Amino acid sequence: MINTVFVAGLSHRSAPIEIREQLALEDDKLREVLQDIAGRGVCSELMILSTCNRVEVYGVAEVPGEAHGAAFRRMTAQRGMDFHALEPLIYTKTGADAILHAFRVAASLDSMVLGEPQILGQVKDAFALAQSCRVVGPTLHALMSQAFAVAKRVRTETEIGRFAVSVSFAAVELARKIFGSLDGKTVLLIGAGEMGELAARHLQDQGTLPVYVANRTWSRAQELARDLAGTAVRYEDFRPMMAEVDIVITSTAAPEPIIRVGDVEAALRARHERPLFFIDIAVPRNVEPAVNDLDNAFCYDVDDLRSVVESNMRERQREAHRGEILVEREVGKFAERLKDLEVVPTIVSLREKLEEIRRGEVARALGRLPGADEATKQALETLSQAIVNKVLHGPTVKLRDSSRAGHGRRWVEVISEMFGLAPKSPTEPPP
Amino acid sequence: MNAVVFDVALTAYIAAAAAALGSFFWRREDLARFASLLTVAGWVCHTGAIVLRWVDLRRVPVTTLAESVSVLIWVAVLFGLWIEYRYGMTMFGAFFLPAILALGLGLPTGLRGLALEPQSQSGWAVVHVALILVGLAALVLNFGSAVMYVLQERQIKAKRRGVFYYGLPALETLDHLTLVTLTVGFPFLTVGLLLGVIQAGRSWASPLAGDPLSIFSLVMWLVYAATLSGRAVGRWRGRRAAYFAIAGFCVLLLTLGAGALFHGRHGS
Repeated sequence: MINTVFVAGLSHRSAPIEIREQLALEDDKLREVLQDIAGRGVCSELMILSTCNRVEVYGVAEVPGEAHGAAFRRMTAQRGMDFHALEPLIYTKTGADAILHAFRVAASLDSMVLGEPQILGQVKDAFALAQSCRVVGPTLHALMSQAFAVAKRVRTETEIGRFAVSVSFAAVELARKIFGSLDGKTVLLIGAGEMGELAARHLQDQGTLPVYVANRTWSRAQELARDLAGTAVRYEDFRPMMAEVDIVITSTAAPEPIIRVGDVEAALRARHERPLFFIDIAVPRNVEPAVNDLDNAFCYDVDDLRSVVESNMRERQREAHRGEILVEREVGKFAERLKDLEVVPTIVSLREKLEEIRRGEVARALGRLPGADEATKQALETLSQAIVNKVLHGPTVKLRDSSRAGHGRRWVEVISEMFGLAPKSPTEPPP
Repeated sequence: MNAVVFDVALTAYIAAAAAALGSFFWRREDLARFASLLTVAGWVCHTGAIVLRWVDLRRVPVTTLAESVSVLIWVAVLFGLWIEYRYGMTMFGAFFLPAILALGLGLPTGLRGLALEPQSQSGWAVVHVALILVGLAALVLNFGSAVMYVLQERQIKAKRRGVFYYGLPALETLDHLTLVTLTVGFPFLTVGLLLGVIQAGRSWASPLAGDPLSIFSLVMWLVYAATLSGRAVGRWRGRRAAYFAIAGFCVLLLTLGAGALFHGRHGS
């Protein structure tokens, strides 16, 4: 049964962005495809994940190749693309490999930016869409619930999503490393560059940070101050301001440094050496690099922030490695569960069948014993239950063992035939 | 008996220090929790050892140097655990436990060797020692947070991301902690030393002469006094304060070393 689980698709690893963009489908189109393919009977369960970084078909089918071939043919036709040109870009995985892939995707271990948090939501949406089309059965249900749980574990048990991977977030992260809590810290933004504004906004998101804006053009300073819910200050006044604020972001177009070591020394004296953090986003730089050598002054320029981002990326890779180990263990556990899933419905209907027989026979026996007292009734119940349990034991063990050994399906057929069980498709997901 | 219990406690501290350092270098939260548990276990044993000794000798066990250091460690571990909890600094153990072991490793032999010659039994002497011990315990933690500050500050300045960067708390938090431990420790140290000077003035001809422990104590007090006043006038924050805290701890170790090695009027 495990080998009927498949995934086929293309992602940022296998296909260029132009193709991914072209193939990505909106929800209502996806709905059509899902219903169409499931309606053809080539697969018993189906789900399509379509984002800008990947288009993937997950499903359960006797012949996976037939199912995902049909799905991709349908999708390319929808977009007027040539399926045969696309075919070499499509990777396919079945069984444990497919499970591993699903877990890795949901846990953001296969993402372009490792650990980015959006993918889990996208997988959940894709699953919900497939559910609403009624093309999800117990296997995909179990697979995806487990994928969500694994993704959550990876996020909480590793630090894969912890470190900033953009320049402006790296600046925020550094501010936190210097000041701890940013609540009540104040920011001075000098210049009206877009990056500077972005960094200021990210800082504001961290707590209540009053922002002061200085710009050579007074009207521009006022405008930006309004946007940031801050206060505009005269450009000539930014030096005295450095005695008050904690974080200075510079992004002016000045051709040479506007903040010199002497300025900062004076500011530090005035602020009793409370730390002062310069985020210099301007190119060429607005803050003299030697400022960083002063005690309690910290200065990062754009290149420094970029190198922080790079080292954070490496950090995420390191954490991703821990995530991979975790995911692999979960795949093993899930494969076992999936094998049980195959035989559970048979075990349940076998038990129901025998229980039904038992009840009938007990009732008949009691009918022939009108004067039976409570003790006799109890004895009959116990006796019949014991017999049923003993009879059930053999087939149950056999079914579980055989499914773990990989030939459960054969025994499901044999036992269903022997006990005359109605062919019952699994409907309930396992607990 | 109390020596055995003490050895158990010390072993727990050593294991805790190893686990804490491991958790810090490999950034393993689970190891950090394990280290905290070991520290608590060690501290409980340590409490037992001190109580047993108290009962055995029928006196407060702070009269020999070895006993004093043992109590000093006991207080420092308690403070350290509190800081870990209060500031959520799971990696604090990696810094204060080694500092504590630097004090404590001479003890297992010392406790037995020096155990039986208690000196001055006066109540004032006990208060003198007890106050100093509480002060020193805070200063041990002062050292731990200062080391963390220096490491973190260097990394932020150098713009490199070493193993320490991700595990260490924010600079301001560490600077605050250095200040808190100093302002708690210093008054205890000052009053404790003053009591000593007063008693020495009564019983010795000159309070300091010929007693290495007293002389080193004075130097230590001067270093910490300088740090605190530098802070108070608002200039010595951050790195400079941290360097002074580290220097102060070095003198603290020398002071205890002097107490152990030279036979001054404090005896040994």
